[in-house]
Amino acid sequence: MSEILGCEKVTKRFGGLTALNEVSLSVVKGEIFGIIGPNGSGKTTLLNVITGLIRLDEGRILLDGRDITKLKPHERVKLGIARMFQGMRVFPYLPVYLNVELVARSIYGDVRLARARTSWALTMSGLLPEAGELPIRLTPYKLRMLEFARILVSNPKIALLDEPFAGLTPDEAEAMIGLIRKFNSLGVTFVIVEHKLRYLMRIANRVAVLNQGVKIAEGRPEDVVRNPQVIEVYLGVS
Amino acid sequence: MVFAKRSAKDLIVGKIPFLIALAVLTLLPLLNVGGFWLDVLTKVNLFLLVTLAIDLYSGTTYYLNLGVSFTFGFAGYSLALLNVYYGIPTEYSMLLAIPISIFFSLAILLPSLKIRGVYFAILSLLVPIIFIGIVTAQPFSLYLGGEGGLRFKQLFLDFARSLPPGIRLTFLQYSYYYISLAAAVVGYVIAYKIGFSDFGFMLRAVGQDEELAEGTGINTLKVKVIGFLISSAYASVAGALYASMRPPVTVDLVVPANTLIPPLTSVIVGGLGTLIGPAIANYLLLLTYELLWGLIGRWRVIAYMLLLIIIITIKPQGIVFKAYVEARKFLRGVFSE
Ligand SMILES: Nc1ncnc2c1ncn2[C@@H]1O[C@H](COP(=O)(O)OP(=O)(O)OP(=O)(O)O)[C@@H](O)[C@H]1O
Ligand SMILES: [Mg+2]
Repeated sequence: MSEILGCEKVTKRFGGLTALNEVSLSVVKGEIFGIIGPNGSGKTTLLNVITGLIRLDEGRILLDGRDITKLKPHERVKLGIARMFQGMRVFPYLPVYLNVELVARSIYGDVRLARARTSWALTMSGLLPEAGELPIRLTPYKLRMLEFARILVSNPKIALLDEPFAGLTPDEAEAMIGLIRKFNSLGVTFVIVEHKLRYLMRIANRVAVLNQGVKIAEGRPEDVVRNPQVIEVYLGVS
Repeated sequence: MVFAKRSAKDLIVGKIPFLIALAVLTLLPLLNVGGFWLDVLTKVNLFLLVTLAIDLYSGTTYYLNLGVSFTFGFAGYSLALLNVYYGIPTEYSMLLAIPISIFFSLAILLPSLKIRGVYFAILSLLVPIIFIGIVTAQPFSLYLGGEGGLRFKQLFLDFARSLPPGIRLTFLQYSYYYISLAAAVVGYVIAYKIGFSDFGFMLRAVGQDEELAEGTGINTLKVKVIGFLISSAYASVAGALYASMRPPVTVDLVVPANTLIPPLTSVIVGGLGTLIGPAIANYLLLLTYELLWGLIGRWRVIAYMLLLIIIITIKPQGIVFKAYVEARKFLRGVFSE
């Protein structure tokens, strides 16, 4: 069991608000790690800190044992951290294939390799027919697939997904689960943020629970949902 | 705006308007259009470079760099200073002025690249305004020529003096015109290649969602710096050429109303980031402005502004590019028959 991603006592404050309070995590190579928590508990902020889009105030981020706390976001992507943003985030006025190809270009440099990886990623996510379309024409599910293709194209060690099931129908969510499982079995580690537990409980090996910036529990999904503290904050039972 | 891959036929049809425009602009002076119009067209050709400078950077990244007129004018001042204080002939000082102006533009404006949105625009607009203040204030005005400007020998003047008096002026006008045309054509072709390369699309990605771009692996700072550099190069080349042809160099070159607003208008009316739209708008708008002088004299300022207001109100996304796309669809129809 070797750690691929480590957060050590990560603290982030926005003015007077402590969005993350000494949060420590250790994600193991090859697992699917879930992060749950109510609205505003700091889940997205944690991903922002891991990807470097937000500078943390205290603590360290480690990738494969290497301290990456000071690296810029695009440098972390090159090291193998890919990210799916909350809400559908794409370049709306660039065609589907360019949304993916630009990522590949900036990671591999080489045009040929970038093009080849792009076609592969579009094929894998079933977007080849829409490659020349603008993203505005895509359904929510296809948009998610576009974001998934963008992750695949970078050939990541670890993929961070921020609410990947939001806005999907049950069937589409199943397809998403299938994809996640498939690439997990091919060696990609996943960190998945959700506040709906239904899907996460089925695929996560371990889950951490955030509440008001504090990690209040961590463990196997079935244990975590029985934790009284989690039930209290999560289900609003007091 | 869709930037999908183009078919071969698309490319051919797409080149036809470009070739027609090129032919017209090349042959026009031979029709004896007169010195006035030759001067106007020379200016419009050089302003195309400024239009492209704005569209390549601000039209794609939406970082509105209003400091373009500083870069333009600073190239002119560099030329004049090298000429006046170091005795370097205009033909050479013009070339030296280009890297100098690029360097200073980057040094002054780059730090503000970290600032987003409207604040960047405001900061960048301060640069030409401060420069005008410096040029016209003591003690700098003593060295920079103050309101009267810096005098020097215009481009090719020495050579022209070796010619018979009757053709001197004509020689200068025609040589300036063809230099400006060459700069415009080369500038446009290069701008098009850059604008629709992967790098150009990265500039657009930065404009559409900078956080997403950075978060998915694009080195946004590098992309912005290189884009800014290219844009400054365009404005510098335009400024150096323009100044070399029309001494003296005065603050008129830096005043945003002269050298920023017209090309910026072309970009807006032409359609941001489309390059072809702003390029066409550059010729249409600037030539219309000159035509209005003959028709209604001083009223042209008001008429022109009204025209702009109407166009921008009807189609804020730029009317020229849309019209161009329609025209091309029509052409394609004609060609497939
Ligand atoms: N850039 C920011 N500036 C100021 N406050 C912020 C910023 N980003 C997040 N916050 C605050 O930090 C807290 C945590 O936000 P975060 O987005 O991480 O929550 P979340 O767990 O992802 O919630 P949700 O389930 O709604 O996505 C919230 O109170 C939020 O308002
Ligand atoms: Mg969130």
